[in-house]
Amino acid sequence: MRGIYTPVTKLRRQVFAQIAEFAYRNEEYAAFEEIPYKIIKGEVATYRDSIFKERAIIGERLRLAMGLSLRKVDEHMPVAKGIEECAKPEKYYEPPLVNVIPFACNACPETSLMVTDNCRGCLAHPCVSVCPVKAVSFENGKSHIDQDKCVRCGRCKDVCPYSAIVKYERPCAAACGVDAIESDYLGRAKINYDKCVSCGMCIVNCPFGAIADKSQIYQLIRAIMDGQEVVAEIAPAFVGQFGPLATPDKVKDALKELGFSAVYEVAIGADIGAMAEADHYVNHVGKDLPFLATSCCPSWSVMAKNNFPDLAGCVSEALTPMVATARIIKKEHPDAKVVFIGPCAAKKLEASRRSVRSDVDFVITFEELMGMFVAKGIDFGSVDTEPMDDATGAGRGYAVAGGVADAIANCIKEKYPDVEVKVDRAEGLRNCKKMLQIAKAGKRNGYLLEGMACPGGCVGGAGTVIPINKASAAVKSFQTKAGSSIAYDSKYADEKIEE
Amino acid sequence: MKRLIVEVCVCPECVMMGAMDIIEAIESLKKLKTQLRLNTQVQVITKSCIGEPKHGDDSPVVVINGDRLVCANSQTVMEKIISLKAKDVKH
Repeated sequence: MRGIYTPVTKLRRQVFAQIAEFAYRNEEYAAFEEIPYKIIKGEVATYRDSIFKERAIIGERLRLAMGLSLRKVDEHMPVAKGIEECAKPEKYYEPPLVNVIPFACNACPETSLMVTDNCRGCLAHPCVSVCPVKAVSFENGKSHIDQDKCVRCGRCKDVCPYSAIVKYERPCAAACGVDAIESDYLGRAKINYDKCVSCGMCIVNCPFGAIADKSQIYQLIRAIMDGQEVVAEIAPAFVGQFGPLATPDKVKDALKELGFSAVYEVAIGADIGAMAEADHYVNHVGKDLPFLATSCCPSWSVMAKNNFPDLAGCVSEALTPMVATARIIKKEHPDAKVVFIGPCAAKKLEASRRSVRSDVDFVITFEELMGMFVAKGIDFGSVDTEPMDDATGAGRGYAVAGGVADAIANCIKEKYPDVEVKVDRAEGLRNCKKMLQIAKAGKRNGYLLEGMACPGGCVGGAGTVIPINKASAAVKSFQTKAGSSIAYDSKYADEKIEE
Repeated sequence: MKRLIVEVCVCPECVMMGAMDIIEAIESLKKLKTQLRLNTQVQVITKSCIGEPKHGDDSPVVVINGDRLVCANSQTVMEKIISLKAKDVKH
């Protein structure tokens, strides 16, 4: 599902483009009620069983895109209810970030092993022999699984010569690396917010498009239209996201055409982070810390701190690239508002955390920015070119899995040639968790651990536009175009940033 | 070997509506050469609709061998390419 363009993707992007258009036109709130009819046209249902339900769900998505909360299903409430509260040129955020739209959810059953029609009722029926709890039996010449006894080990599935037994999983729960998906009283998905780290993988893996996160594009556009000084910082995964015509230089120009007064690469902050973590590794690992875990991925670091509280000290405290870059921007443009544009849902939460002065005013995703480009009618062929040349190849590599550890390891090699650095890394929160369990057992002492919540790294984030393999290739080619591949050569290398 | 030219519009609107995924789908056909008995070389050209009015509801736009496909998706583009390889293809 991930990386394939489906009707769910289409609907999600149409919602962003419509919200951007609504903001640019500065329309009356009443016009908000009409948007579902612009997206779902005609009187015949295309996506679900009823066109009324389709429009109602679009209404909920529109509310979330405005930053509003979901409506209660059992109370009368217009789609635009509460809009006057949120329609302001400043950030509006009310938790939770990630929401299940209950009546869009198909209430898929929880994990189970099922016998399909492929079962031939064979003589050997090894499925029965391997079951450790006697849940598999033979009934009417076919294999049968007693769901009450079944412990979901999957042995019967692995052993069947006809691939007749399948493991059925809810796609949202399968995608969730922290097991935060539970069920409500109707069997619909419900997020346990104590466990959720807002990685957004459930959003992009739900085949019914029932999960969405809140957005800040409307408020951002109003701030720009209001004449405020707004500076954009764009995450290294942006390369290639807006199509082959949108070269990094042209993206910078297009952002300026949207009204951003300046554009910075977040790779600047990545360079700074790599240098800080290299020093941290050399000075602490093997002394007061058993190993060092990277800090740039917010879902990974929150998961590590939640699930392994005794290892929390091992997660680097270096500023994340987003925050470090924002601090540099605030130094150079003290009155500006800073917008982080990235592939990530969790950064929205990181920027809202009260414990960290993030200096980031708005966070939007590439997909949401794409909606702004489309609503504004930006044409990448026509804009003039101003080079994007803030960062080194090291910082730019942060977007792809493995790039963070590479950048840090290269820094250590350069500055401390005698130190040998051992690296382990994981992508996807489930794998990250396994890596930490191994580390907890003492088997990763002296290591640098890179964790990425999204498979493939940031280029596989929930807010990306293009397929992951294409994005990684684009990022790698942009890396080689940088003047240097080592973070120490950054022109911001000597910048002092207060912690 | 025959050659087939597929032009894919990559204006912001078309990219938002999945143009890059269409390109991915076209390229994926190479892996199915044996199954599809494909002896046609498919060349993808990315273009932008500069000078053309906005596509609006027509996005994404793909032109295969001179035929303009509107509201294209991986499914319709792959089908069109496969159907053309059987017929005469411009060299």
